[in-house]
Parts: sequence; C-alpha cells; structure tokens
Amino acid sequence: MRVLRVLVIVTLGIAVLASAAWFFAHQEEPLPALPGVDSVGAGVQSVQLYFAAATGDSLVFEPRDVVEGGSLHDRVASLILELERGPREDGVKVLPQGTALRHAYLDDRGLLIVDLSRAFQQNFRGGSGAEQLAVASLVRTLAANVADVRQVRLVCGGAPLASLGGHLPLDRPIDVSDLP
Amino acid sequence: MIGSPRVPRFGSRHRGARTGFAAAFLLAALVVGPRPLHAADPPPSEPVVSLEGAPYVSGTSLARLLGATRFWRADVRKLVIRAGSHRLVLTLDNPFVMIDSRTVRMTGPVRALAGEVHVPVTLVDSLPREAGLPRLVFEPRSRRIVRVPSGGVIAAPRLVQSEATARVTFLCDPLGDARVIGRSRAHFRLRMDGFLAGLLPDSVPPPALIQTIREIPSATGTGFELVIGADAQGWRLTRAGDRVILEIVKRPGTEHESFAPEGPPGPRGLRVVVLDPGHGGEDAGVTVGSTSEKRLALALAGALKNELERRLHARVFLTRDHDEAPIEGRRAEIANRVRADLVLSLHFDGVPGTRARGVTAYCPPATFGARERPSLPGIAAPLEILPWRDVATRHAVRARDIAETLLAVLELRGQGPARLRETLPAPLLGVNAPGLLLECGTLTSPADLERLNGPGGLAELAAAIAEGLERWQEERP
Repeated sequence: MRVLRVLVIVTLGIAVLASAAWFFAHQEEPLPALPGVDSVGAGVQSVQLYFAAATGDSLVFEPRDVVEGGSLHDRVASLILELERGPREDGVKVLPQGTALRHAYLDDRGLLIVDLSRAFQQNFRGGSGAEQLAVASLVRTLAANVADVRQVRLVCGGAPLASLGGHLPLDRPIDVSDLP
Repeated sequence: MIGSPRVPRFGSRHRGARTGFAAAFLLAALVVGPRPLHAADPPPSEPVVSLEGAPYVSGTSLARLLGATRFWRADVRKLVIRAGSHRLVLTLDNPFVMIDSRTVRMTGPVRALAGEVHVPVTLVDSLPREAGLPRLVFEPRSRRIVRVPSGGVIAAPRLVQSEATARVTFLCDPLGDARVIGRSRAHFRLRMDGFLAGLLPDSVPPPALIQTIREIPSATGTGFELVIGADAQGWRLTRAGDRVILEIVKRPGTEHESFAPEGPPGPRGLRVVVLDPGHGGEDAGVTVGSTSEKRLALALAGALKNELERRLHARVFLTRDHDEAPIEGRRAEIANRVRADLVLSLHFDGVPGTRARGVTAYCPPATFGARERPSLPGIAAPLEILPWRDVATRHAVRARDIAETLLAVLELRGQGPARLRETLPAPLLGVNAPGLLLECGTLTSPADLERLNGPGGLAELAAAIAEGLERWQEERP
C-alpha cells in the first residue's frame, strides 16, 4: 500500500515537471515593437510629373522615381516638391518658387483639397498662360499619381484662393476631366 | 340780348394757339389727327363762328371766359365788358375796340349775329396780360377760344430734322418744368408744364430720327410721346430762354444720354462696349524690364476706345481710367449697369522660360443648358439654375463668334499666332454680356515686346482689334 502511494506521488511529480517543461518550451517570444506606418513599405515609386512645354502652350510629362510616402500627405507633398524642383528634361517649371504642401485631404467623392503655402500665390509671375499652365501642371500631376482623385480644390495658406494671377477662377474645384 | 347756347365741350382736347405763335410755327405741322383726352380737366373754352370767312367769338363767350360782366347800351350800340379793373368797349360795325384807355383796331368790325354781338378772335391777343385777367388763346383747328391754365402755354413745337440730327423746339410762356419721363425709342415721353396751344404733326416723312410726335394724357401740364428711329443713339434736353429743345442724334457726344434698351434680350450690334484694362494699382501684372502689363493695358484701352467710337460709333466705357485696381465685382457691375454688348478684358500674357508669343482669347464655355435632361413623357424636366457667377456662359456662342473673327484679323495684322481657349476667365464672373479676355500679346516674347513698345505698336494693335470687331459687326447674322 505504501509502495502504491509512493508510486502515485512520483507519477504526479513527473507529470507536473513534464507539463512545466512543455509550457516553457512552447511559450512564444514577444513580438518586436512595430515600426511607424510611414516607414512600412517605403520604397521608390515611379511617378509622372507634368511641366510646361517649351512652346508655352501645352504640358509635357516626365517620369521620375520618388520615395513613396505611406500617407496621403507625404505622397502629395513629394509630388509638389518634385514639381517645385523643376524638370530634368525638356519641360519648363511653372509652379511658383517655394510652393509647398501644408495639408491635403481626400474625401470619398474624389475631391482632393490641397492647402499650399502662401508662396504659391506670392511668387507667381506671369499672365493667364502661365497661370493656366501652373494650375494644370499641379492638377494633372496629382490626378495622375494619387488614386481616386476626380477634382482638386486649391487652397492657399489655409484660405480660399479666388485666383492665382487674376485671370482664371480657382474658387471652385477643378474637374480633372476639364483640363486639356 | 340773347346769349348763345353753350356748346358742349369737345371730346378731344382743345387746340389753341395764340395767333402770333401759330403764324410762326404752324408751317411745321403737317397733318393733325384726333388727340386723346387729358387726364386733367380740359381748360374752359368757347366756340367761335365764321363770319365771311373770319373767326368771331360772341361777346357772351368772351365775357364767360374772362369772368366778366356785360352791359349792353342800345342807344349807342355798344357792348361793355368789365373784368375786374379792366373794361372793354365794343361798338357794332366798328373795327375799333376800347381796351381800358387803349384803342385797338381789329381785323374786322364788330358784328351782330342772331341778336348777339360778335368780335374777331384777334381781340384775345390784344387783351392785357395781368394776373387778374385770364389769358385766352385761339385754337384754330377746333375753332375754340381757350382759357389758358396757370401753367402757361406751349406753342406748337417746331421740328427740324437732318440726316444725323433732329431737334424739336417748344416755345413756352412762361418757361416751366420740362423733363423726360420715358427713354425708350418706341415711347420717348416728355412732360412739360403748360397747355399746348398748337398743332402737332402726326407723321414725318422718312428718313427721320423722329418719326411721330403726339400728345398723351398728363395729370398736370402736357405730355408728349415721340417715336424715335432705330438709328438714333442719343438725346439731350436743354432749356434756353423761353425754349425747351429736345435734340435727337445719331452720333452722340458725351453730353447726350442713351435710350433705354428695348426688346427682348438677343443679338444686336455693338452699341455699348466695355473695355476692362487688366490689373492696376499694386497688381502690376506681367512685368518685363520697364514694361508693365497694367500700364500697357490702360494705354491700349484708351487707344481702342477712340477707334471703336470712330469706327462703330459705339459708346465705350472703361472699368478704370487710371492706375487703380477696381474692387472685386466692380468690373462686372459696370458692364451690367451699362448693358454692354461686349466686354473686352485687355491683358498681356507672359510665360517665363518658354517661347510663347502672340495673342490668346479666352471666352466662356457653352455649358449653359448643355446637360442632358430626362425625356420621360409626362415628367417635367428639372429646373436648371445658372449661378450668377457663370452668367457669362449664356452668351458663350456669341462671345466665341466674336473671338474667332477678332483673332482672324489679329493674325492677319501680324499680331499672331492667335489662340482661342474656352474657359470662363475671372474678369467675366458675373458679367451678363458676351465677353472675352484678350491677351493682346506676350511680354515675355522679345518679338512681341519690341513690337508693342515700338512706335505705333499700341496704335496698330488697337486698330486691329477695332477692325476685327467692325468686321464681326458687318458680318454678323
């Protein structure tokens, strides 16, 4: 009888030890902390940038590899930055010097609201031709590289922009399909 | 003495003229037709009778109009009429009449007819003009003697017309108020103090700027309505001495006023053109060297104004005539107020870093009414509301038509290359008229800049633009 009790105790002890060993053996190591969303998937992407043609009456596009941002803001900002840097080929830069993105917002109807720095208006030089090319260059570039954009509304310094140079009204969203 | 029965007043207004006025002005009257009733009561009048071809008025009628008392002295065959402090003595079969202390010879003797004394109507011109004595005039067509109301009397207007000018002169005694109360060509209306004692022509032989003139009812004084020919472009009402002169002209000057627009909205010639020199004030526009767009546009507008006034005889308005930037909406306000037939926003382009040159016209797109509508039977189409901002698109077809003709001429005159873009430009927002934004050259192009700054450069450009508009005017449907 005594032998049986010892045997049961030993068996239970072995079972407890085995269970503990199995538990520690199969416990998952903690995951490392996730990096920021912006850095996830960051890579180089080819985009189409639109600049004015040297004839001054149309646009030409230039493919360029840019670091793709993860957020809408970064993506639009990088496009505007590249436009502001100017072309590397035959085109002519028409975006006013110093133009940068302040905010960008895309709603579910495809309206992209782009809030630009005041330099967009203050540094503009030119007539209606330059004005039309500047706006078309910006809108065509955004529409070509940001998915689901149907209309673009330009805002400057957080305030509505009636016109860039006094020739073409910008008080309403610009329909991408209306651009030449 | 038996008084003559009072003749009922005519249903029409009584026409009277002082014989002195009538002699001077009746030559201008052609045909006289029935005239409408005045809204105001007609002035008192009495009939005249004809004796041996001369108009006579009875002593009773004369006394009634003068508010006088009659005395018949049978022993000496005299009729004495006393009105206030005045005294008239009429002697039968005698052409001399005593008026107070004066003796006046009339055109005929005092006559007796049906037991009543009659006197030639020329007597009324000899009556004293004093405040206490009513003034009488003879109206020859209705053959009545009329008591002139307090507003005075207007003689028959004198109408003088030439190919380019028509002038109506009203001789007023005394000169009272006169004003134009309707400016449309079909119903050009004039109201004047005073009673018309004269004849009006019912028609005027063509060609004539004033086609008809007639009297219309007026609560006070006298109203006239004229039908003005379509060629007339301006009018002016002036007062000189005892005359009121209405002048109608084909080619108005700055002193003339325009007629009211008439007829439904629709195509018409370029009678009113608004020139909008772009930019101004702190907004210099495109600046290349010492040449700034705002100054060039203003200078071009001045030159073009002269050309359009000379070639099209149009009235031309500028949205600015010196270096200032009109406040927002001011340009559209000016264009809409003068009911422009064309608004031309004048600019000069500049596209730095490119080879752009020449002219570009921006005209509103023909988007108004272009949306598809349901065609289900029995279902009304939804109401399409056009924002006032886009009202210029109503005139898109006409604007494009003008732009194409204009650009063709500019190209021919060496101002090209010319481009046309269908985009509603900012200066045309809220403009209810055909309009164009015209970039009249490209300042960043050395060739364009040299041409515009050269001698006669702007004058040639202005002449070319005016020629383009003139050609469109001639060829328009």
